[in-house]
Amino acid sequence: MTAFVGTTGRLALNSLYAVARVCVLVVDTLQWAFVAPLRGKGLRVRSTIEQFVEIGVNSLPIVLLITFLIGAIMAMQSSYQLARFGATRYIANLVGVAALRELAPLMTAILITGRSGSAITAEIGTMKVAEEIDALEVMGLNPTKFLVVPKFLAMMMAVPCVTVLAMLSMIIGGFALTTVVIGLDASMYIEQTAGALVPKDLVTGMVKSVFFALTISWVGVYRGFQVEGGAEGVGKRTTSSVVTSIFLIIIVDLIFTVLFYFV
Amino acid sequence: MNENATSEPIIQVRDLEVSYGDFKVLKGVSFDVMRGETFVILGGSGCGKSTLLRNLVGLMRPAAGRILINGQDFTAMSDNDRMEIRKRMGMCFQGSALFGSMTVGDNVALPLREHTKLEESTIDIMTKIKLELVGLGGFEGFMPSELSGGMKKRAGLARAMAMDPKMIFYDEPSAGLDPIVAAGLDMLIRKMQSTFNLTSIVVTHEMSSVELIADRVCFLKNGEVVAIGTREEIAASGHPFVQQFMARRPEDEGSDREDYLRSLTGA
Repeated sequence: MTAFVGTTGRLALNSLYAVARVCVLVVDTLQWAFVAPLRGKGLRVRSTIEQFVEIGVNSLPIVLLITFLIGAIMAMQSSYQLARFGATRYIANLVGVAALRELAPLMTAILITGRSGSAITAEIGTMKVAEEIDALEVMGLNPTKFLVVPKFLAMMMAVPCVTVLAMLSMIIGGFALTTVVIGLDASMYIEQTAGALVPKDLVTGMVKSVFFALTISWVGVYRGFQVEGGAEGVGKRTTSSVVTSIFLIIIVDLIFTVLFYFV
Repeated sequence: MNENATSEPIIQVRDLEVSYGDFKVLKGVSFDVMRGETFVILGGSGCGKSTLLRNLVGLMRPAAGRILINGQDFTAMSDNDRMEIRKRMGMCFQGSALFGSMTVGDNVALPLREHTKLEESTIDIMTKIKLELVGLGGFEGFMPSELSGGMKKRAGLARAMAMDPKMIFYDEPSAGLDPIVAAGLDMLIRKMQSTFNLTSIVVTHEMSSVELIADRVCFLKNGEVVAIGTREEIAASGHPFVQQFMARRPEDEGSDREDYLRSLTGA
């Protein structure tokens, strides 16, 4: 009994401690990203742009390819059901709405987690193991300003940008399959899509993508700073960075889906 | 003996206590480091000497005690003040800690680019001078992974010297190097010391380094200072641990035989 109480208590304390450390990290990042530059403490613009290219531009080929294919798959799957009611023209509505509200933001976030969330954790973790983080501090360079803020800002810009293109690519994927394989009229598909989408769909997707970006960057950075030991520690934390990040992305997705259902 | 050494303290450590969880690593360490001297912190593995160094440069906060640098309390000052003092400090890490994503030249130039408003051409020249100083002239364009262990440590020293510090800290400078390269590094430490009138704090377990560079030595065992003074004073001190360390005699295990057996059987 006492063992049970002890374990529960320790677990609760540890999670509280983790939450506290994430909060410190969040406040510190926001401070160095938005407050410090206004006070003339500078922002590492070049490094931010490099990270933006790495996270955003370089992930475009794979993200666009995968979202295109998912658009096509969705069109095929929905035609399977809709054809029975002679309603194949509604494939356009289904693909368009699902892409904007749900699938494009989610797929983009998951792919960028795999590409860049893991890279952030591995980079910071390796630097920690090699005492490079300590070296920064001893030189009087703040690791948050130097390492975290460029990645954070780049992620905040890159994920929404890539998401918009992914939405487009997914709709094109649906369009290509429906017109070529199912043989629906192209102009009718475009008309249906235009009629089905409302600005709120886009807003829903974009709001989600911003929060996904926050999740990916903070989980990546937090796991990176947790690394201890050698190469093994880096591997472990990188794995857990991806798993935690995808799990939290799904939770965030659920929360916002429920929220937007009622708003 | 080093003619630059003074009797004016630059670092004063008072009753420093540090613990990891319940385990006390440093148990009330006190000593002074004088301006311009080479102060060697010597001790066996796990005696707390690296922890002591991490506290001196502010990478860790002590549980109790104070560290005064130039008479200011380093442990209690604001982050901004600490950053200012750090710009006057250099540190050489055990594994060199060069940034793997940058060239050797960019590594050395980094503190200058971040902390000064110098022209890029001036920074270039200063980088070349610092690398020349440690015998790495012409290596600006190399990546750290292309250097040998000894060269990495030299490059780390060049980076530590970039801001012309007043104090420099070395964490195990000769660890993992062959005796010739290690002796070369010791000579370099000596050269920096005499050319720039630096205060150097060296953490090591190598007696050979002590003979080459030390003005004064602080002997640490199990988180406590057991002896402190010049090399001659240390050699003359009758402390059994110091004598054992200098004669490289292994720990006497015979007396703990009973304890050892008990720990195995759990009785």
